[in-house]
Amino acid sequence: MSDCEHIWKMTNIEFGFIAFEKCSHCQAVRTHFTVDEESGDEYREGDCLWSRVENAQSFRFDLQCTKCNLAVKYHDLMGLLYCTSCMEDCEVEKIQKECAARKTWILVAFGFLPAKKDKPFPPHKLEILTDYFNQRRDTTRSRMKIVSHDLIEKFSLCKGEFIHDRGMLSLEVPEERKPLL
Amino acid sequence: MTTQDLIEKIGLKALSKFDPREVDGVFVSDMLSDVMAGAQSGNLWVTVQVHKSIVPAANLVDVSAVVVTGGKEVPKDTVELATKHDIAILATDMASFELVGKLYNLGLVAK
Amino acid sequence: MKIKQIKETLGATVLEGPDNLEIEVSQVYASDLMSDVLAFGKPHSILFTGLATRQAIISAHMAEFKAVVLVRGKIPNDNSVKMARDTDLILMSTDLDMFDACVRADSIQKGKALSSESVSEKAFPEELLLAQELVIEGDDFASAGMVSTGIKSTLKKIGLDNVLIRRIAISTYEAEMNVVMHADKGKVFLTVTPTYVKVVIADQGKGIPDVESAMVEGFSTATEEMRAMGFGAGMGLPNINRNADEFEIQSEVGVGTTLNMKFLI
Repeated sequence: MSDCEHIWKMTNIEFGFIAFEKCSHCQAVRTHFTVDEESGDEYREGDCLWSRVENAQSFRFDLQCTKCNLAVKYHDLMGLLYCTSCMEDCEVEKIQKECAARKTWILVAFGFLPAKKDKPFPPHKLEILTDYFNQRRDTTRSRMKIVSHDLIEKFSLCKGEFIHDRGMLSLEVPEERKPLL
Repeated sequence: MTTQDLIEKIGLKALSKFDPREVDGVFVSDMLSDVMAGAQSGNLWVTVQVHKSIVPAANLVDVSAVVVTGGKEVPKDTVELATKHDIAILATDMASFELVGKLYNLGLVAK
Repeated sequence: MKIKQIKETLGATVLEGPDNLEIEVSQVYASDLMSDVLAFGKPHSILFTGLATRQAIISAHMAEFKAVVLVRGKIPNDNSVKMARDTDLILMSTDLDMFDACVRADSIQKGKALSSESVSEKAFPEELLLAQELVIEGDDFASAGMVSTGIKSTLKKIGLDNVLIRRIAISTYEAEMNVVMHADKGKVFLTVTPTYVKVVIADQGKGIPDVESAMVEGFSTATEEMRAMGFGAGMGLPNINRNADEFEIQSEVGVGTTLNMKFLI
């Protein structure tokens, strides 16, 4: 293993969209990244009838160490969500409260749905992502900590918000986020 | 130049409560993804976005303040979240383009 | 102002509508939020945006804009370019970020350089902090800009004021581009003392036949290929003149050109 003390930079930045699709039969939700604007037409796939419920603008990237060139892909990161303290017994809210006293702010890394729902976001990648954003900031003032989505037990009740661009293209004010499941 | 200097020299309105800090460079964008990819610690972030997700985005990349332009009304929940995270939310009636001219004249540059 | 002027100051690439660059626009509207463009954008404006989507083009068209500039090097997909063509919009792309793009467009609007703060002489004894000699290869577009980039980081390490470094970097960059475009080779002499930074750039190029004309904005003898790359906007020497505290040109046709720039700390 390398003993390099990595200094990360963001590379291979690709701007695109996170498409949120919902099946009108089984109510399942899935998400994917796409570079091109896709049409929101309904389409059938097996027993499911998928339609676009939201198109958020986002981007994907890799992190690369400026010293040893080690590259880590973040194509499995759907986005970062910030906790709105909607459930007192939620693990994320507990961590958030605990960390606030130390001026450490929490964000939740989300993988794409549905496959990654119960599995944690890879811990080593969380650590690197946390390091990256802390390296970009003045850590004498405060720090970031990025945790995994599987800490949220009740997905369907979570009212956290993604740091995604929504409503950039529309004339209307974006609505509150709908539950994921 | 500090956030306090800017408020006085340009006549910005401070909406949230925050500790003054040094402003280093300017980043103009209304896209959170651009900010996450490109803004640097200490930058003054100029935007027309007022949704509360500007606060975690500003916090994540450690900008020195957010200036909301175009006389947009900033919702209460955005201001409250900003105060909680010690993020400066400033406001002006000027459009982004107009404000940029003023910032440049004060010696601020992109970083 | 003419779209052509904006294109040249931004070093922008025209993706659609190259034949319409003489069109005038009344103002710049800088935003990534399409609802704002539609709500507040004035007809005959030019949109600066980081949003490289088809909807951005449609919104600009609906708000009766004349042109769209994509900032931060954003590249639109074919659909967006086609939409621009169908709606008669000029579409350009620049590597500048939104702030820089606005600053440059603002300087055209004001018809002149933005006021640079007056610099006071400090009574330090003259003492050499740094003396460097660097080489610029002519006709080497691939590494064009390397020397000024290097100088910029050197000055940063010394800890000079950011605004000053920027003025020096811009001037050096313009001078470096002149060497790349018009000469075989050039040498750069960088001197830093506690009270000033001096950059002397000497080339063995064609020389400038008419120094006075070359100092006028928009005057350029760059070839079409160079212009296509965003160079040769004819802002080079005037841009140096505006950024340097002291600026002097010595040029002899067939022998070469020497630019003397001094920046007070």
